[in-house]
Amino acid sequence: MNTLLALLAATFFIFPDGASGTELPSGDEIARRINERDEGLAVSRQVTMEMTEASGKTRIRETQGFRKYYGKEKRTMIFYQSPRSIRGTAFLTYDYPEPEHDDDQWLYLPALRKVRRISAADRGDYFLGTDFTYEDIKLETRVSLKDYHRNTVGESEADGVHCLLLENLPVSQEIAEELGYSKVLQCVDDRIWMVRRAQMWDLKGQPLKTIHFRDIRQVQGIWTPHLIEVVNHKTGHRTRFRFANVDYQAGVEDRIFTQNALKRGWRR
Amino acid sequence: MQNNPGLAERFFWAITERSRAIVFMGFVLIVISASLLPGLHKDTRLDAFIPASDPSLQLRNRTRKLFGLEDPMVIALVNEGRHGVFTPHSLFLVEWLTREISKLPNIDPDRVTSLATENNITGTEEGMEVVPFFDQPPVHQSDADRIRRQVMDFPLYLGSLVAKDGKGTLIVAELQDQKQAQQVYQALLDLATRAPLAPGESLHVAGEGAVAGYMGAYIDSDATRLDPFAAIIITLICLLAFRTLRGMLLPNLIVLATAGSAIGLMAAFGIPFFVITNALPVVLIGIAVADSIHILSEYYQRMAEHPEADSRSLTVATMVEMWRPITLTSLTTMAGFLGLTLASVMPPMKFFSLFALLGVFVAWLYSLIVIPAWLALLRLKPSRAYTRSRGTDGFGRGLSWLAPVVIRFPKTLILISLGILIVGGIGASKIELNENLIRTFDPEEPLFIADGVLNRWFDGTHYLDILIETPATEDLFKPENLKRIEALQAFVQTLPHVQGSTSIVDYLKQMNRALHEGQRQAYRLPEEANLAAQYFLLYSASASPDDFNDIADYDYRLANVRFRLNDGRYSVSKNVVEATQKYLDQQFNQPGIHADLSGRVNVDIHWIRRLGDTHFISMAISLGLVWLMASLSFRSLVAGFMAMLPVVVTILMIYAVMGFKGIWLSISTTMFAAIAIGLGVDFSIHTLERLQTRIRRGDSIDAAIRNLYPSTGRALLFNFAALALGFGVLSTSKVVVLQEFGMLVAVAIATSFLTSMTLLPALIKVFRPSFMTGKNTRLSITSTIGEAS
Repeated sequence: MNTLLALLAATFFIFPDGASGTELPSGDEIARRINERDEGLAVSRQVTMEMTEASGKTRIRETQGFRKYYGKEKRTMIFYQSPRSIRGTAFLTYDYPEPEHDDDQWLYLPALRKVRRISAADRGDYFLGTDFTYEDIKLETRVSLKDYHRNTVGESEADGVHCLLLENLPVSQEIAEELGYSKVLQCVDDRIWMVRRAQMWDLKGQPLKTIHFRDIRQVQGIWTPHLIEVVNHKTGHRTRFRFANVDYQAGVEDRIFTQNALKRGWRR
Repeated sequence: MQNNPGLAERFFWAITERSRAIVFMGFVLIVISASLLPGLHKDTRLDAFIPASDPSLQLRNRTRKLFGLEDPMVIALVNEGRHGVFTPHSLFLVEWLTREISKLPNIDPDRVTSLATENNITGTEEGMEVVPFFDQPPVHQSDADRIRRQVMDFPLYLGSLVAKDGKGTLIVAELQDQKQAQQVYQALLDLATRAPLAPGESLHVAGEGAVAGYMGAYIDSDATRLDPFAAIIITLICLLAFRTLRGMLLPNLIVLATAGSAIGLMAAFGIPFFVITNALPVVLIGIAVADSIHILSEYYQRMAEHPEADSRSLTVATMVEMWRPITLTSLTTMAGFLGLTLASVMPPMKFFSLFALLGVFVAWLYSLIVIPAWLALLRLKPSRAYTRSRGTDGFGRGLSWLAPVVIRFPKTLILISLGILIVGGIGASKIELNENLIRTFDPEEPLFIADGVLNRWFDGTHYLDILIETPATEDLFKPENLKRIEALQAFVQTLPHVQGSTSIVDYLKQMNRALHEGQRQAYRLPEEANLAAQYFLLYSASASPDDFNDIADYDYRLANVRFRLNDGRYSVSKNVVEATQKYLDQQFNQPGIHADLSGRVNVDIHWIRRLGDTHFISMAISLGLVWLMASLSFRSLVAGFMAMLPVVVTILMIYAVMGFKGIWLSISTTMFAAIAIGLGVDFSIHTLERLQTRIRRGDSIDAAIRNLYPSTGRALLFNFAALALGFGVLSTSKVVVLQEFGMLVAVAIATSFLTSMTLLPALIKVFRPSFMTGKNTRLSITSTIGEAS
């Protein structure tokens, strides 16, 4: 019904001349364009994670992150720098493209002085106490092709920018339960093919989260959001990721993604 | 109070002059109060019994808010078979229930906890595994056995999620909206009935979330049963007393006005309908008819004696005779309720007595104004209960056999009463203050049974929380603070009926073990604050951001330690709370860390203790006010003292029974006394007033006593029957507290009635107090006190 209304609204208000000739791109087309956008082979960046509870209490954690693609395999390293009590803690993750291949994850706790391997989290699990799930983090600014059926349901605006509304419905109940979403509605900037806003609904169809991708600027020719904000509508908890010193050309070395590097830590 | 017949007579002539207008206004007021009723709302929370300003309640609410502690619904699965709940079928059932509960409205699927949702955290040689206990329910018993071994090796869940002997497990569901508890509870009961149970398995729905819902259902079913039942009984009593239509209907009119205005005013002032408010209409029905029973008794007796009198003059003569005793008894009853209003700690009780007081006032107003207006309007129609030749009917004559007993053995009667007073005093000293809130429910209710199951197989349903505060962010992680909390837990768990506890300490130990290859000896606290902080970061690796809300705040500055008790008795909680408080004061609290007791257990013991403390005060206030009122009314301190005697005997007799039979001084038994005083004293006042009137008119004391029984005695008998049966109706309530309350008041009223009918005339006969003759009041006080001592 909402879809229908959105379509009607689109027809009447956005194309007042009845210019029905300009058809909106299909959902799959939008997804393809998003995933074709350059994300850089590797990136190094400072990420400030700011988590705020419904009561207003906030935890701020400064990290240094690295990410690099090895074909379709993705490796990520996060070094915590503050607060002091968790300084030096580091997580290393290998994401494999094959769904049956569980991801590998190691961590280093400096107070324990040991690298431990930890079992892979589920895709729908929350990521390091934030409101993002592992799947949200894994996709970054991309979209999953195989998990959803997609439809273009209209046009809208996000932060004053025109965008196409892309509705994603999980292909099966099983996938929905895995992801924790029954629907995802994205607002896609069709100028640079980047999601600017994503809304998620839980398995009972109640509003769950809204993610905003903000402060989008080109860094070394690559469109990069410098602020990602997410609010959980059920708990009132919110998370902000602020990115600084984003660098796609620094030459992220392979040895960063090793257990030795975990232990050694990262020094500027 | 010197009677002024001229004024009273003029007043009632004026009333009967405007009969039609008054009758009409009488109806208008009833309609107005009825129109207010839809505004009434229910408050079924247990917390409603506690004043909102109570410090222990405020601290409990603060702890709840800080740690997001809601009252969840709980389904307990018990399997008494050899493998307990670790069979393929029981684990399948856990998974099935978890799935089905998640689908229910008003349940957040993310906040449903069971063996099917929880992860096992284990240490391996190279690291740590966080995996669900099972993805799919096991098919073979050997798989179920493996799950059992894992769960039994996970201390955090033992006693809380899984019975320590493996015979039971819980599915815990948090509500999104606590106000919908009643519906969710019902849905869970339905689910439990349709669950595919195997032999040996049973399901029980419980949890404090269920209690409020339950209470709501209780109120509804009580109200639809008790009130009509009480009204029918009262109507039958009136029929028996007067055997006329007006004798049946006029008292009911007063009942409507009284109960309607009291409840209507509650609605108008936004006072909620509490669980015990259900007793209010029933109490008011009993009180409201009492006045009209006395008026109609006099009316019919006069009609029998003066068949020639016209309607209006008969009415006026009746009212001139009766306005005084009715006013006196209304004043003393109101004084009794005022005492309770002033002294009670429970808001529902405070409002109960306040609006009962208003109801008594309305009953008095209607009895003095609307009843005469009606009687003057209606054509004269004698009652077959009263005839000129034989005086009254069998009831009056039956009571009259008391006259020779009182006249012949007055001193024996006084001695018996004295004996009751002494025994009662001894009994009262043995009374023990105690309460168990689950007693509110019928022992056959599923909720009561479920509570028993939870307290038997699991750590228990009674929570004592301890709020720990440290000055700065992450101070909780300091090893000295963690060790202090660990020692506190160890100490409190040695106290009787404390079965288990959970705190940040338990999670840190679990993580420490997991990161040390799962070695049992590594189940201990980390020795560095940073390590504790890093463990919690590690926990967050796959936990939702608010997963540890219930044990620590976001800054790791405040912590909650929750202890579980398997016994809800005040006597048990009191021991635990007092011992824990002493430990906190002497060993725990110091600069840098501070702990306060919180939680339901602490709240309960605080207000029940206050309930006990204020019980005797409220009774003293009620007694004092009633004595003052009676003394003023008769203009004699001795009269006031004598009016009090039957209620004092009554209360001490009930204390004796309680003390010797080991009945607790509890919610119900603290409620009864003040009400028994206010109502019981009416019998004394009617008795003394009648004797005084007759003696002052020249009767000898013996003649006055003989005259007492067929006239006032008969009216009092029906007054007593109306009250006793009215309160007796409460014993059919679904709320056990109300049952006990109703029974106690009914017994108290019976005792007051009997004492008034025997002890008072005996005292008058023996001591001949001068207030009876009205000659020299002052002299009589000194002489009677002298004789009494």
